[in-house]
Amino acid sequence: MNIVEAKGLGKEYGELTAVDSLDLHIPEGEIFGFLGPNGAGKTTAISMMCGVITPTRGTATIDGHDIRDDAFAAKRAIGLVPQDLAVYEEINARQNLAFFGALYDLSGVELNKRIDWVLEVAGLTDRAKEPVEQFSGGMKRRLNMAVGLMHKPKLLVLDEPTVGVDPQSRNYIFETIRSLQSEHGMSVLYTSHYMEEVQSLCDRVAILDKGELIANDRVDDLINAHASGALQLDLAKDADGQAALAAAMEHGEANLSGSKLEVKVTTSIGAAITAVEQAGVEVVSMRSLQADLETVFLTLTGKKLRDEK
Amino acid sequence: MIRRAVVKECQLLLQDRGALASLFALPLIFVITFGFMFSGVSSQDKARVIAVHYHKENKLAARIVKTIDGSGMFRVDYVATVKGVEEYVAGSDGRVGLILPHKLNPAGGVPAQLIIDEAASIQFRGPVVGAIRSLVGKGMAPGDPSAKPPDFLAIRTPPGIKKPMKNVSGFQVSVPGNAVLFGFFLALTVALSFVEERRSGTWRRLLAAPVHRPTLLVAKLVPYFLVGLVQMGFLLGVGALAFGMQVAGSVVALCVLTVAVVFCATGLGLFIASFGGTEKQVGSVGSIIILVMGLLGGAMVPRMVMPESMQQIGLAVPHGWALEGYYDVLIREGTTLGDIGVPILAVFGFGVVFTVVGALKFKFER
Repeated sequence: MNIVEAKGLGKEYGELTAVDSLDLHIPEGEIFGFLGPNGAGKTTAISMMCGVITPTRGTATIDGHDIRDDAFAAKRAIGLVPQDLAVYEEINARQNLAFFGALYDLSGVELNKRIDWVLEVAGLTDRAKEPVEQFSGGMKRRLNMAVGLMHKPKLLVLDEPTVGVDPQSRNYIFETIRSLQSEHGMSVLYTSHYMEEVQSLCDRVAILDKGELIANDRVDDLINAHASGALQLDLAKDADGQAALAAAMEHGEANLSGSKLEVKVTTSIGAAITAVEQAGVEVVSMRSLQADLETVFLTLTGKKLRDEK
Repeated sequence: MIRRAVVKECQLLLQDRGALASLFALPLIFVITFGFMFSGVSSQDKARVIAVHYHKENKLAARIVKTIDGSGMFRVDYVATVKGVEEYVAGSDGRVGLILPHKLNPAGGVPAQLIIDEAASIQFRGPVVGAIRSLVGKGMAPGDPSAKPPDFLAIRTPPGIKKPMKNVSGFQVSVPGNAVLFGFFLALTVALSFVEERRSGTWRRLLAAPVHRPTLLVAKLVPYFLVGLVQMGFLLGVGALAFGMQVAGSVVALCVLTVAVVFCATGLGLFIASFGGTEKQVGSVGSIIILVMGLLGGAMVPRMVMPESMQQIGLAVPHGWALEGYYDVLIREGTTLGDIGVPILAVFGFGVVFTVVGALKFKFER
């Protein structure tokens, strides 16, 4: 069964198309990555799924509930963790959790038990009664995630949860996400523009660019399908880079950055190297580039993910 | 570097409409409003209409009227009956009348009668009473003002206007004036709380929860409504307990009016929030709106001392109606809920309009 099924989901703001007819399904129990540069439409897409904004067209179901016709049931299935630190900093963690829990009709003993559980998950049990404004950035991020877990959603939606987070807290968040999936069977929709995070964490990934879905597959399959035959040549410092670039482009897509020439080879690696050398350019060293989601994105869009930031 | 800093700050300032309004529009509005007020006072000093009933064959009365008319401070309108003078004064705020009885004889216990709303603000009443006392005395004893008899002028409130309670202190006026002025600042707190919810991202979280959107608005407004009641209760309570402010009329009427004022302020907060904007924009524009409303409504300077046109403009804001109600219930003896029904309904009506328009204009998905 799919926890999310989006059909033709789209959002326009006047002339601007933020998301263009998104067709997407996310299998239940998976960690699903939503990758794309800033402004690609990731937040808009998940905001529509979470009921935060109204789609211009199309619809989606969450755990079988239509976001338009059965909005409350769909919302109960989702735990949204916004990109912003969406907590009230003046009050303490426990008070925050009590308020947000009440939005999902939690009360009394059940509410307290749930608060204790999410505090433990977030590693904040000892700090529960401190005002949130006294927390470190990482602790606030963890509390932000804890709020999204209060009603034990079937789908946890994390929107760029590691922005501005130290490595220690980042690892804690990753471990928590993995344990929520493995121990509680929770499905996770994880948006990021950090391809390393998505690659290491997610079972499946969708890549969004300029509001359009350009890829949607298992991470390994996507890399295997799109990211083969790439190499990086280190040219001599006095080498004619433009000549090397022109020669390399005869054998695929090439990018020159200083003395480094990256080639996504479409003919053969040997032929590409030979062509560069025959152009009178000295190649100091060469290495095969490890295929990753960055190269997938480069292959699909002709630009680097980071260029769009 | 300094030149670049100046250019940068100017560029920032030009983009900040709220700051521009605070710097230029707000003082201008105050200058214009106060200017009208002062020009009104000046013109009133020159020729305030006074309704006078007297018997023309009574030489003393005729001399007094002539003195008043010739002073340049009042323009005498002859009224044929005593009742006519009383009805004229009771007909509107800021009116004054004089009755010179047929058997006018101050020494014999028949004094002139100044007909005025004794509960009117001292800023209006003081100068008028002083001037009339002086002119009537001068008319009675033109050669030697000290020769005028004692108790030559009686002051009374006409039928149709409730009399003021005795020993009215300044706090009877200053407490409600400031309570209304600062009570309406609740609107700014409400509007800024919406801005903060959006800024922090908690608004997205609220929208993602299984809660109807109108419920979110109500849940945001109700706490501030309750806070407003506590604030007004605190201000009026301190006025009563610490400064001896008394309630001349019905306490129930006072409470109902206060509920209407807080409801109106809360609705105004939603109305301001519905325009959106940053914390800076809402803070400055909201402050301007509330201050100007307070100024026009008489929370800073009583409306009664303003010219007629300004007094009417003051009723275009809820502050004006609220203060009408507060002054009546705090100063006039026996004021009932029904007596201040119109001000209460007016304030409540403003609140309904602010709330409904604010709710319709409010953009949840901004």
